[in-house]
Amino acid sequence: MKRRSRVPLIAITALVVAGPVLGLASAAVASTNTYTRTPYQTGRLNAGTPNSTTVVKSSSGAIESYGNSAITYTAPSPALTTLGQSLFLENCASCHGTAANGVPANGTSGAYPDLVGLGPATIDFWISSGRMPAADPRSIEANRRTPRLSQAQALAVAAWVNSLSPSYPDIPSPNLVSANVSDGAALFALNCAACHTIEGDGDALAEGTYAPSLRNIPAYQVVEAIRTGPGNMPRFTGNLSDFQVADIVKYVTTEIQHPQNPGGFGLGGLGPVAEGFVGLLLGVGLLALIGFWVGERQ
Amino acid sequence: MSEHEQRTPVQLNTVSADDPRLQPAARRPELVEKVIAVTFLAGIALICGFGACYWVNAAPWTLGATFGGGLTLMGVGLIAWGKYLMPRGPFVEERHTLANSEDDRNAFAAAIVERGGGVIKRRKFLGGLLGAGMGIFGVVAAFPLIRSLGPLPKGTLFHTDWVKGTYLVDITGRRVHSDDLAIGSIVTVYPEGLENTDNGQAVDQTVLIRLSNEDFVTQKGRETWGPQGYLAYSKLCTHLGCPVGLYEQELQLLVCPCHQSMFNVTNGCIPQFGPAPRPLPQLPLQIDAAGYLQSQADFNQPVGPGFWERS
Repeated sequence: MKRRSRVPLIAITALVVAGPVLGLASAAVASTNTYTRTPYQTGRLNAGTPNSTTVVKSSSGAIESYGNSAITYTAPSPALTTLGQSLFLENCASCHGTAANGVPANGTSGAYPDLVGLGPATIDFWISSGRMPAADPRSIEANRRTPRLSQAQALAVAAWVNSLSPSYPDIPSPNLVSANVSDGAALFALNCAACHTIEGDGDALAEGTYAPSLRNIPAYQVVEAIRTGPGNMPRFTGNLSDFQVADIVKYVTTEIQHPQNPGGFGLGGLGPVAEGFVGLLLGVGLLALIGFWVGERQ
Repeated sequence: MSEHEQRTPVQLNTVSADDPRLQPAARRPELVEKVIAVTFLAGIALICGFGACYWVNAAPWTLGATFGGGLTLMGVGLIAWGKYLMPRGPFVEERHTLANSEDDRNAFAAAIVERGGGVIKRRKFLGGLLGAGMGIFGVVAAFPLIRSLGPLPKGTLFHTDWVKGTYLVDITGRRVHSDDLAIGSIVTVYPEGLENTDNGQAVDQTVLIRLSNEDFVTQKGRETWGPQGYLAYSKLCTHLGCPVGLYEQELQLLVCPCHQSMFNVTNGCIPQFGPAPRPLPQLPLQIDAAGYLQSQADFNQPVGPGFWERS
């Protein structure tokens, strides 16, 4: 009798142990499956994806935030979804369609960008930088301008679009305290300066497009642009860690946005030609006037 | 004596002592003199201060301020001296006639004809030596010029350090894994072991772009060159060798910042606009068992601008 009584005990023990283990494992599999299919993901740790060191999940298993000491990426609150949908229908749907798939009413597929699965950071960047809603939907490049929607409204739209097909990266919030501005300058020169110029003023590119100036951009939008690659900008993912991105952001928000300009005038960061011109015109001109005065006959 | 007088026609005594032109420009020269003296004294004080600052190793701005201020005050005093205390002028000194007299010239010509023949003809030997010296100097002077052109490029014109199985690494030496780049990403890569070293050649720099998740074929005959959508092109413009680092991912163009040559990434970087005469050479890629990117071989063509021996 003693031996028989052990069987249910073992079975119960096994069930008690195996249940949570299996449950956790299946939850882990499910959570990884949600992002491996999207094109933004890389396998690299700390590359703006939930492969980061710290991942915070809600009780239902959804990822609320992820990241590390350099950048924290936070998902927009699901509670904003309803507000986001009404804002989207009001401001965006005339081009992107009521399903955010780039097909407006009576329109054809492919006429406008499909937004499904682009991730919250992409949506937030385009709206909070004022590029969307577009002033001229037919223009080759949307200009940065005063945002039509508030930051909270941009987050709401991002929350709704993301609810259609959850993706990444989430809204970044960089922590620049321990970022290295010197490394940032080197990384900026290597990755960014080709188009934006080393002064961050931007420059003309092919076919009427241009790289915008970086003079007046909040830090989180710099991260969003680096991680999502808006428009013609390449996307920097696995080749830049979150720590390196924070270095770049620190360089942009300090040296580029607050240049030291030891001479007093930045001259628009136009480089040695402008500086030489001003030096010749003002400096040599002033010296010539002084020379005339010194040698003047009474 | 008469000759000497002829060459100095202006007499010093043409200006009398009470001539107004000899008076200083200032209305109250004594006052100006005092002001200038004060300026000089202040300048001397500052210059002494510069010495003291230098002696005690003071902050650099104090050195600049005392030195610059001292020189400025001395200069101001000097200019004021010249402008306000020196005779007002103007004085005009007539130039004597430049030409020698007819007699002088005739005598000189006669002397040359009389003595010249022998004196000048005798120095052929020295002239030859001088010519040889200058000629050899001309040849030797060309050495540093030729050397400044640098070492002969030899094989690097035709071959880079990419060979079969070279791993692609970024500037920090980290190997690039096929999971690293998302679609639309770009990174500059180098042959493993040669990044940031003196052995690495400028011709090695390569841009790696991920175009898609599927194998990507840019041209016929390059079926295996773009595994999992990874494409690698030489970063040297075929026009003048500038780094072609401007990637526009919507237009799929690589743009050279120097002369706006544009290369179409999707069809083998054929130049689409600008002065570049040839496509950017493509580096055939493969992915090893662990997922890291390697080159299959060297570039399909010599990289960079054209050169004499290039067929």
